[in-house]
Amino acid sequence: MSDREHENEGGAAGARGRAGSLATMTDHGDPAAAQAVHERFPDVTCVAEYQGDVRVHVEPAHEVEVIRWARDELGYALFVDRLGADHGEDAEPRFDVITVVYNIKTDKRLIFITTLPEEAPETPTLIDVYRGANWFERETYDMYGIRFTGHPNLTRILMPERFPDFPLRREYPMEGKGDFAAPRRAIGGNVDGTDGKVAVPPHPGEPGEKHGDPFGRTPGQRT
Amino acid sequence: MTDTRTMDVEVAEDRHAEAMMINMGPQHPSTHGVLRLVLELDGEEIVKCMPDVGFLHRAKEKVGETFSLHKFIPYTDRLDYLAPLSNNVAFALAAEKLMDIECPPRAQAIRIICHELSRISAHLLGLGAYAMDLGAMTIFLWTFRERETIYSLIERICGARFTTSFTRIGGVENDLPDDFWPKLAAFVKEMPGRVDEYEAMLSRNKIWVKRTQGVGVITKEQALQFGLTGPNLRGSGVEYDVRKAHPYLGYENYEFDVPIGTEGDCYDRYLCRIMEMRESVKILDQVLQTIPDGPVINREGDDELKSVLPEKEKVLTNMEALIHQFMVGTTDVNMPEGEVYFSAENPKGELGFYIRSDGGLTPTRLRIRGPSFANLQVLTELVPGHMIADVMAILGSIDFVMGECDR
Repeated sequence: MSDREHENEGGAAGARGRAGSLATMTDHGDPAAAQAVHERFPDVTCVAEYQGDVRVHVEPAHEVEVIRWARDELGYALFVDRLGADHGEDAEPRFDVITVVYNIKTDKRLIFITTLPEEAPETPTLIDVYRGANWFERETYDMYGIRFTGHPNLTRILMPERFPDFPLRREYPMEGKGDFAAPRRAIGGNVDGTDGKVAVPPHPGEPGEKHGDPFGRTPGQRT
Repeated sequence: MTDTRTMDVEVAEDRHAEAMMINMGPQHPSTHGVLRLVLELDGEEIVKCMPDVGFLHRAKEKVGETFSLHKFIPYTDRLDYLAPLSNNVAFALAAEKLMDIECPPRAQAIRIICHELSRISAHLLGLGAYAMDLGAMTIFLWTFRERETIYSLIERICGARFTTSFTRIGGVENDLPDDFWPKLAAFVKEMPGRVDEYEAMLSRNKIWVKRTQGVGVITKEQALQFGLTGPNLRGSGVEYDVRKAHPYLGYENYEFDVPIGTEGDCYDRYLCRIMEMRESVKILDQVLQTIPDGPVINREGDDELKSVLPEKEKVLTNMEALIHQFMVGTTDVNMPEGEVYFSAENPKGELGFYIRSDGGLTPTRLRIRGPSFANLQVLTELVPGHMIADVMAILGSIDFVMGECDR
């Protein structure tokens, strides 16, 4: 946390003035609740904080139990978000499943993070705790291939059914693959394809070394 | 998105009549975009509703991982395309939270103007289209008259009507022109009377009341479970508005109320939106009276970091500023390591950004939590038990936009 933020925290809310909005933007973390979770489940959680966001790391096996406890005992009744994240091919554990929940009584937010391995990433579904997790888990499966055991309908939601890959994995190329590759010209590749971008035949009218002069002249020839 | 041909449909067997499947959308006029609903009917009663989304998926989260935060701002225009300025503000705030930059007071006030103008504009479209779906054509034309005024104001703010891209990390693109202020003042003066007109047409209209009251009731428990936000959540009686809960941009300094519904039906959501427009006008009025002077972009101590764009005026007159802008534009900005979740109260609900950075030039994860995605999911529980004609009433009252649902 920066020094500026500490200054703002010192002032009373009324005296803060219009300039101190970063302080009110970062006061929604709930270290006390995170501590309570940690005390209740000491072996499965650890706590991290940045810019006021309190993140609780949970083992996949205990995730549902911990979040249900937070909902029932701590009052985190509003489901906000459930998303996946990827640390990259080399990282181990590779995937994160992040759940954001909100307490409407105390106006505090709590973030749960579960890490999953690259091989067969799998975690129990959260539908029993928040029914709204249904589509969010489908999207996470759609984008990362993370499976949620016990999910009633774990199918693609945003991508087409016949899409073969998991597009938000970091190794998936920006310009697409196979049937779903973007034309090279559309993604700003150079003409001869030496930049390693997807090889699609260049437009016939395009000048370039490979297919030479559009009028069939050899170098140096005068028309 | 599900392929029609492979969609596995379960039909319960213990019904009197044979169940009928109806495909509503993605080109149905009352779905306001490319939403497809697969409805299972028993007579005229709906027994099952399967929303099918994804037709407008443009891989924004993937794109976000290849750009620096500066360059992603234009992409946020196309999230909730009925309130692009609001998205710009929300994203800039999320980026500022990650990079620990604070925007100067005048820029904050300008951002509030952007935020509230787009809220009124989005609610106007929602209201007009909703009324038109239920057969009241006049309201649609009237709301578009006011939207035209708002779009002229937005044109004065940033030169574009739809694709605004107005905010910058650390402030806004430029100060507002002098002739903007009297126009905004005239709008603020005129708008409450216009809202009265809409209410006179609808709030006690017998047809309107019959079509909306008691229809599409979302219980408090349902709203919380499905993560509804915005007027849909408040219509069900939950008092949660991000502007009040965690004021950003100095919202705590302005006086405004958060309208709350009691029944959670379509009529309550309609009333919430109407009253929110009035509150937004109140906020705009206060901004007009209290807007401070000063710079519109925060460049304090930024000469070494090179993370904030210099003022446009200086770029055109000052060599150093030109070089600086070139550096930011070409080499991108190094971000601090960390991850933040920031959400702003957009017209449709809570627009959240989860940005994770490993300290490089681009974020490693840029999650967009579109409120419409969560808001639409409740249809699976909300629609069954209603008649087909009620689906239009429910869809209109949910007031979704597919741009941020499919992202």
